[in-house]
Amino acid sequence: MKSALRSTPLLMILPSLGLAMFVIGYPIVDLAWTSLHEVSRFGQLRDFAGLYNFTDVFGEPLFYESLWRTIIWTVAVVGGTLLISLPVALVLNDDFIGRSLARVIIMLPWAISLTMTAVVWRWGLNGRAGLLNATLMDLHVIAEPIEWLATAPLAFTAEILIGILVSIPFTTTIFLGGLSSLPQDSYEASVVDGATGWDQFRYITLPLMKPFINIAIVLNVIYVFNSLPIIWVMTEGGPANGTDILVTYLYKLAFRFGQLGKASAISLIMFGVLLIFTALYVVMVMRAETDSTVDGEHKDDDVAA
Amino acid sequence: MASVEIRGVEKAFGAAKILHGVSIDIKDQEFVVLVGPSGCGKSTLLRMIAGLESISKGEIAIGSKVINKVPPKDRDIAMVFQNYALYPHMSVFDNIGFSLKLRKRTKGEIASRVQEAAEILNLQKYLQRSPRQLSGGQRQRVAMGRALVRDAQVFLYDEPLSNLDAKLRVTMRTEIKALHQRLKTTSVYVTHDQIEALTMADRIVVMNAGRVEQVGTPLQLYDTPANLFVADFIGSPSMNFIEGTLARSDIGVVVEAVDGTRLAAPQEFGGREGQKVVYGVRPEHFSLATGDAGSEAVVEVVEPTGANIEVFATLAAERVCAIFNQRHPFKPGDKIRLATDPDHVHLFDAATGVRL
Amino acid sequence: MMMSRLKKSILYWVLLSPLMIVILFPFGLMFVTAVRPRDELFVYPPRWTFSEFHWGNFVDMWGKTNFGGALLNSLYVSVSSTALALVLSIPAAYALSRHRFRGKGSYRNFLLMTQMMSPIVLVLGLFRLMVQFGLVNNLNSLVLTYAAFNMAFTIWMLQSYFNTIPRELEEASWMDGANHFVSLTKIFLPLAVPAMVVTGIFSFINSWNEFVLALTMIRSTENYTLPVQIFAQVAGRYQIEWHHVMAGTVLATVPVAIVFSWLQRYLIRGMALGAVK
Repeated sequence: MKSALRSTPLLMILPSLGLAMFVIGYPIVDLAWTSLHEVSRFGQLRDFAGLYNFTDVFGEPLFYESLWRTIIWTVAVVGGTLLISLPVALVLNDDFIGRSLARVIIMLPWAISLTMTAVVWRWGLNGRAGLLNATLMDLHVIAEPIEWLATAPLAFTAEILIGILVSIPFTTTIFLGGLSSLPQDSYEASVVDGATGWDQFRYITLPLMKPFINIAIVLNVIYVFNSLPIIWVMTEGGPANGTDILVTYLYKLAFRFGQLGKASAISLIMFGVLLIFTALYVVMVMRAETDSTVDGEHKDDDVAA
Repeated sequence: MASVEIRGVEKAFGAAKILHGVSIDIKDQEFVVLVGPSGCGKSTLLRMIAGLESISKGEIAIGSKVINKVPPKDRDIAMVFQNYALYPHMSVFDNIGFSLKLRKRTKGEIASRVQEAAEILNLQKYLQRSPRQLSGGQRQRVAMGRALVRDAQVFLYDEPLSNLDAKLRVTMRTEIKALHQRLKTTSVYVTHDQIEALTMADRIVVMNAGRVEQVGTPLQLYDTPANLFVADFIGSPSMNFIEGTLARSDIGVVVEAVDGTRLAAPQEFGGREGQKVVYGVRPEHFSLATGDAGSEAVVEVVEPTGANIEVFATLAAERVCAIFNQRHPFKPGDKIRLATDPDHVHLFDAATGVRL
Repeated sequence: MMMSRLKKSILYWVLLSPLMIVILFPFGLMFVTAVRPRDELFVYPPRWTFSEFHWGNFVDMWGKTNFGGALLNSLYVSVSSTALALVLSIPAAYALSRHRFRGKGSYRNFLLMTQMMSPIVLVLGLFRLMVQFGLVNNLNSLVLTYAAFNMAFTIWMLQSYFNTIPRELEEASWMDGANHFVSLTKIFLPLAVPAMVVTGIFSFINSWNEFVLALTMIRSTENYTLPVQIFAQVAGRYQIEWHHVMAGTVLATVPVAIVFSWLQRYLIRGMALGAVK
């Protein structure tokens, strides 16, 4: 009975492990292998090329431009998202009339695929007939319609703003989860101690929310860094590669220009970056877990050990 | 019904050893209470009897059959869990009858036996309700019903009353004991509450840090605790302890406390002169003395409990508690004289804690 | 010092309103475009209003684009991948929630890693993998990949819910004479159904909305899933039938948005329970 019991948990995780290895593990190995070879347009591996694909990538100005834009994109979207999400979560965590409706509305963008959102905004930002122009003209903010997506800086800015918009629900959800775990009696104690609302935020909420803010930063960085649909649907990295970030650049190299060696090299570089952030995340999660087991301690229980 | 024999049982989780060789013989029809502070291993031991934890070393036998390798379902044991573990998606009737259903009893038999259990526990009105709709005490009864519908060989209770309020706890205590007197099923009951242990047990097993400190009837443990731990753990308010040295004087053997106070000690004991000892006396074994008898104590706090007054005073530089059933009008700062009856004094070796 | 509830509510709504307007803007836009007569799409100056509701756009769109086919494809892929993910996740989540075993920590970290791996980084490797197995332009390539990428999330969600089902219930059933199988089917699984439904729906929505892999693996129009279908209607075309596109997005998003709104509180609960942990 004992040996059977000991092997059951392994049998239970094995199928899931198998699929994940097959779909996620194998491609990584394949990418690494491919990146070290010269590759034909059609994916045939030719001669071993060492690090040639990597040096090729590093010799490409477009790579640096995309990299730089990726950094701007990631920092701007994640930063903007956090700045908006924290106050939104604080408001949504408080009790007020119509809160559940407000929550539903704020969460809406999460329900919709990025593709659809991007398609709709592309239409909304249309220079000739876009209703954003209509709205701004009705409000007399602008006199003439603006071609939002015709120039790279304007298009990129619009894409960043939309990126922020679609990241808010997820981030707010993390914060709401965090806020709901804060100890209510600390707030009551602080009121007795004479704290104002601002003091409470500064000295109780913010320090206690720090692990959640950290987690939100890391997860958002990972998601935003990898996000293709918004830019792909709205401008496909154009005009003139002016809105290309690493993922769009990678996608073009792989599936437009057939430069598979270079594309796999970039994939691998991105994989490395992701790995660093994932490691960061794992460390944070573990720290949060040890923290929470201290106060979430079981009562008696000689069994836990 | 059956005996339960626990022989040299050990439990380790990895490197952490929870039980260090525990042996207890539980006789058929006996009600045995395992008591001890949290973390002492009592729940682990109970779960090992149930088959919910594996046995690292040693044997457990039920009705003289070793059950180390028998899965829980075949041990013919019923258990009442601390959080009751009622199946939330089943009615009270189905909760109680589940074990019979698994044993493929006929519908008629299940119905009549559930009915019978419900009558014993006053649950007839609630059989169709879901556990959610019951109060804490009612849930506790359902958990009991689930156990007693089975005619199991052994009943195990894992702190079954700890989630009830104080008043209900006292009522249920009596009910469980009455039930045992009626059914006579061998029972093993785990609690951290020594009052529960004293009031319910035929025999008590006091455990501490994975070891058995003493096994005995409630009054044996109360009157002759084997060591300091048991003396301190059993009884409320707990026994008073004063450290001192054994000495011989004009009035016979005494214990001389650090401040020179001499306390009367029993004349027959196994210690030697000059030995460091701990002098133990229960609060109710102090009496008031006059003149030169007894020793001087300074009253600090007086707490009336209605039936008695509890007086906290400083005696021989220690804070002690004395209980009187007369309503003495003591005030803080009063000087009183406390005497002890040598027959009710306990002496322990200061180094080992063992009773002398 | 205490604000009245009404005053506070008004203040909060005012504070949230700019964000809400921006969130609701695309929905309004979708709707007014979807029901607008075709010749009022490009008017100058652009305006919100239009002469009449043209519900025929939906019928028109259905007939002229492959919307119905894409809808079926999306349904097939989302349902199958969710089923596959759940079938593989339930035992794994159960093992994580109930058993101590060697390698548990590494397995959890491995799951975390797969959760962080976005399809885009692996897309080239995945494409080559599917080429090898002859699954390019086959919807089953999406079923497999979606299930794999969703699994970390589903295992996570399920495990955090499984942890809330007291272990004592199963122990009690063993004492009652149930074997492991009966205990699972009669006690554990019935209690876990709500968690499985909620998790399944989130996995469904994820698959329903996925774009990059579908864009890469699926090559022919008749195998398009909805996001790719809609994208194909706007990508690289000189003339875009925006009223058809918007009618399509309305049909593709509104049902999902409604289900999601109804379930989002479970997601917050899941996060609080430890999905974030």
